[in-house]
Amino acid sequence: MTDFDPYMTAIIANRIDGIVREMTHTLLRAARSAVINSARDFSCSICTADNHLLAAAEGLPIHIFGSHLQTRAMTEYHAGDIREGDCYLHNDPYTGNTHPADHTFLVPVFFEGEHLFTTVAKAHQADIGNSKPTTYMADAVDIYEEGALIFPAVRVQRDFKTDEDVLRMCKSRIRVPSQWHGDFLAGIGSARIGERRLKELCEKYGKDTIKTFIGAWFDYSERRMMQAIRKLPAAVLTHSGAHDPFGDLLPNGIPLNVTTRIDPEAARVTLDLTDNIDNVDCGFNESEATATSASVAGVFNSIDPTVPRNSGSFRRIEVILRDGSVAGRPRFPHSCSVATTNVADRLINIVQSSFAQIGDGFGLAEGGVGMGAGFAVVSGKDARTDGAPYVNQMIITSAGGPGSPSADGWPTYALPVIAALMYRDSIEIDELKHPILFRSLRMQTGTAGAGRFRGAPAIEVAYGPRYDPMEVHWPCDGTHFPARGVRGGKDGICARHFLVTTSGEREELPNIVARKLMPGDYVEGNHASGAGYGHPFERDPVRVLRDVLEGYEDETRAREVYGVAFTGSLVAEDLAVDGEATARLRAT
Amino acid sequence: MTYKISVDTGGTFTDVIVSDASGAMTIGKALTTHARIFEGVHSAIDAAASELGVAVADLLAQTSLFIYGTTRSTNAIVTKTVARTAFVSTEGFPDILLLKEGGKFNPHDFTQDYPAPFIARRHTFELPGRISAEGEEVAAFDDAAARALAADIVARGFEAVAVCLLWSVANPAHELRFGEILAEIAPDIPFTLSHQLIPVVREYRRASATAIDASLKPLMQQHLRELEEDLRAAGLTGEILVSTAAGGCSHIDALISRPIYTIGSGPAMAPIAGRAFARMEDLGDNVIICDTGGTTFDVGLVRDGRITFSRDTWLGPAYTGDLLGISAVDMRSIGAGGGSIAWIDEGGLMRVGPQSAGSEPGPACYGRGGTLPTVSDAAVVLGYFDPEYFLGGRMKLDVVAARTAVASVAGAVGLSIEETAFRIMSLASDLMVRAIADVTISEGLNPRESTIVAGGGAAGVNIMTIAAELGCERVILPKVASALSASGMQHADIVAEETASLVMQTDRLDIGEVNRVLGALREKLERFAASLSQRDMTDAQIEYIAEARYLGQVWELDTPLRQVPLPLEGGVGLLAETFHQVHERVFAVRDEGSAVEIVNWKARLTVPLAKPIDVAPKAADITLPPPALSRQCFFGGTEPVTTGIYKPADLAPGRTIVGPAIIEEPTTTLVVYPGTSVMVSGAGNFLLKVR
Repeated sequence: MTDFDPYMTAIIANRIDGIVREMTHTLLRAARSAVINSARDFSCSICTADNHLLAAAEGLPIHIFGSHLQTRAMTEYHAGDIREGDCYLHNDPYTGNTHPADHTFLVPVFFEGEHLFTTVAKAHQADIGNSKPTTYMADAVDIYEEGALIFPAVRVQRDFKTDEDVLRMCKSRIRVPSQWHGDFLAGIGSARIGERRLKELCEKYGKDTIKTFIGAWFDYSERRMMQAIRKLPAAVLTHSGAHDPFGDLLPNGIPLNVTTRIDPEAARVTLDLTDNIDNVDCGFNESEATATSASVAGVFNSIDPTVPRNSGSFRRIEVILRDGSVAGRPRFPHSCSVATTNVADRLINIVQSSFAQIGDGFGLAEGGVGMGAGFAVVSGKDARTDGAPYVNQMIITSAGGPGSPSADGWPTYALPVIAALMYRDSIEIDELKHPILFRSLRMQTGTAGAGRFRGAPAIEVAYGPRYDPMEVHWPCDGTHFPARGVRGGKDGICARHFLVTTSGEREELPNIVARKLMPGDYVEGNHASGAGYGHPFERDPVRVLRDVLEGYEDETRAREVYGVAFTGSLVAEDLAVDGEATARLRAT
Repeated sequence: MTYKISVDTGGTFTDVIVSDASGAMTIGKALTTHARIFEGVHSAIDAAASELGVAVADLLAQTSLFIYGTTRSTNAIVTKTVARTAFVSTEGFPDILLLKEGGKFNPHDFTQDYPAPFIARRHTFELPGRISAEGEEVAAFDDAAARALAADIVARGFEAVAVCLLWSVANPAHELRFGEILAEIAPDIPFTLSHQLIPVVREYRRASATAIDASLKPLMQQHLRELEEDLRAAGLTGEILVSTAAGGCSHIDALISRPIYTIGSGPAMAPIAGRAFARMEDLGDNVIICDTGGTTFDVGLVRDGRITFSRDTWLGPAYTGDLLGISAVDMRSIGAGGGSIAWIDEGGLMRVGPQSAGSEPGPACYGRGGTLPTVSDAAVVLGYFDPEYFLGGRMKLDVVAARTAVASVAGAVGLSIEETAFRIMSLASDLMVRAIADVTISEGLNPRESTIVAGGGAAGVNIMTIAAELGCERVILPKVASALSASGMQHADIVAEETASLVMQTDRLDIGEVNRVLGALREKLERFAASLSQRDMTDAQIEYIAEARYLGQVWELDTPLRQVPLPLEGGVGLLAETFHQVHERVFAVRDEGSAVEIVNWKARLTVPLAKPIDVAPKAADITLPPPALSRQCFFGGTEPVTTGIYKPADLAPGRTIVGPAIIEEPTTTLVVYPGTSVMVSGAGNFLLKVR
């Protein structure tokens, strides 16, 4: 290939994509912990030997940027001593990882003696040896208190053989070591599958063609991004938001600011995150990877969704971070334990909603945030199995997705950093695995952030222990600051949670929860709903009718919030839009 | 009684295969007549009958077995014409069908609405009462509320009811009681109880299957009864069976009570055909089946002679469609075929699909107003189709329109029309290669050690390119490739399957309880077998399968039980070892330190219908004169190549045809690329050699 070959580039890109999908499939199916195999909290990618991200398939938005920072750490620390058969473990948030819970396996791929690629398999572990049994240490003052084992690109295999020392270290420190070991095998297996397939690919097409492809693919991706940016007007979008307050430490929460500069002529977007406070003494600090991924995800959410995500398209996005900032590059030893969700969720919301300032049809409303009761880590002893201990994070409800210029929010959105990619647990599986009984799980009528396209309604859930006390932990955001609507769209509702005791007392819980439930007690509450896009009076009355018929909205809200009147009745199943009355309502 | 007729009514065509006492197969094809399905069936049988030189009435009168496969249920779901169905769920949990199991493809795509649930929320009813995971009643059944609910269902004019209560698989008492109340208060409304249809843990899969099944009951009962009447009126006295998604066939009554099994029952027959042709040609027990249609490309597998099954079949897209949930023959479909449209994206990259010209307007070459370049247009430009003899002469192709369409892409990439057409074809092949790779990867099957059996009228256009790319050296294009599913029915057995949910771990397995459950499954199947009154049951057999995983995993693997009942001594070890082997095959690792968790237990009854397949005699090499016809075709270069055109008269068992060549049968076209060859086997199939 000399110039860009539109055919060969397509063929090889298909193959590379197929390889990442095979890596993904391997990790998903072979992994042991629910956080990987149920919640899909992992991603696979391929980087070039010179540390550019070449391909990532169906990974979580919060994982899109950063694996090339991790391979760079590998090539720097081990310069001159990287060879075929090596595998490196990286989870260091200061040198490119998202947060310590994401163990990342890096396998350098050699062909004809040359290091051409590095395959990357990143997966959230069920446990990483933190000081408490959770991978989200919201209250950790620093990385020491957090307590995780940190691996800054540590070699765990040489000549395809695992370093048993490292294995023993991990097994003597990580809770439920057999589960961790199963995920370790799955992660390495995934990276090795990628290695094997890439070598076959090089064998088939030859090294020169593959190298030409890499250049062509980055150029193509850059072109796609340039075209996407050129469809936007020139603008400087300054936008703010905030993470909820956290006890006495952060009584006003964490204020966040992002300035987005769009320069269509130069086909460039700049995301400036420097105007943010210094690192905080708890686990909410962003890592370089998550601050970048989150803000870049906000851009990808606002442009043609088919633009490839790789170092080629990233050439057109500049992210300016400040050292030692809560939404920048973290200063050691500040903790990044919760870097992948809370502040990151807010950053995505800030960027995607700032695009709505451009004009109608641009950007998104804010999505619901917060890992509440439906994402709780539950633990205790299971009387059904002679008191065997259990600990697991449930993924059973969801915060509501944001309204967009052309569609309503999704009820399976989960969080901005997840964007509906995760699987949900089943009630029956959760009740089978834990001694727990759910009382209800349902959409809540009239809770969606209204809009021309509305957010997804909130979902309420209630559950409690069956036989013995049970601990519940969750680090919820979104109980103070809701998802905000754009272009006249309404805000979503906040998350709220209550503890109901056997005596019938109902106590409202704070956002960061660590409680013990006694038998007969239960928690009930809702995650946040999504916000709306555009004024509710602009909503197609047929959509409002359908919402009322389906119980997402009620007739009062239809009239008062959406300005839609009906004839007939819900009970008689002859409800219909009253066009004239609606026009009158909307004229006022 | 000499004939056996199988019918596959697709969305566009109805395929018929008639086999005589010797097993020789004749194809008949006609357009599907959706208003009265029998008309199309009759026309297709008529086409086969005239080929055989007998009258339709005589053919039907001499037919001992008639097997019917249908897309009627699938179409009803796609066109949303299923029954008005009520969904009854446990109080507090109305949104099971709405929230599904989560998941999405592109995380940055916010342009689409979330899909509506299979049954609307306003048609969802919450029934008081609650069973726990251990099967205890934690909230009592409320008889009065249940009766009021049933009366409401009647009053609101529902035509079917789907009942799926939490943990009905652990204790079915509440579902059964509500079923009794329904039968009493609404005796004319058919219903499905989830624990009877699909007793598996995970409420969404059970609810989805139950909802789909119930919604099809009124319609499929009418459809199958009507067809039966029409066939009897036309003089058929032999037995009538219907093909099922479980990979076999069953009698009409069985499908009326579980109509969900008619979904995908046509494609489910393709792997049976694949297995049969691979045996006939003595090419092994590992088979990849590819079925090419106008808009979809379906892939299935046979591994060690066994059809592969999946509980993850979606109607519509994965995650956002509706999950079938039943253990169905695993045929996976991608949107690629003759109608797939070629285009250049904003970055200048060549793309094929996922948009399709469908059948209306169809490819430009159909001359029905389509102007966008499709894979079929590329084939026309390359000279692979005779414009005067497409579909056996039933359609003339518009070459000028095809060339004009392809020229739009050629201009953008700066290549000749023919070079561009070849690249379009190759990109389409590449999508198919990837679809096959995805399926073989998930089963741990190596394409290089497998045989491809290709079906569909357009399969022959690029199957050799696909096989070469996969490194697959054994490829069969059956003589009846254009009716692969119908030919599979000819080899299908009567199959019935029962499942029970019982979660067990190998480190504390209660063998007595497992054997009790397996025994109950056997009894159910034996009751079914007893209904096959006049059939010879001597070769009937029951296989048992555990759906198992390592403790902590969530994806089960089908694990055959080699000895049932499980022996008290060594039974658990044998089960665990079998699972380790299956896991190692699929994921290349085994973890002997881990307990194995079994979630569901399946039993599958097979009553052989078809004769065992004999290896067809090898044909001795013969040499025949070169064909009289030739055409100018393109195979990637700028200059055309003179290509021999082989008609049926040019073909005989034992003849090897070296590419470049094109074989034109009435219902299928095979492109033999330069450097490849084809031999006509003793059975009349085409054996392809890619190098």
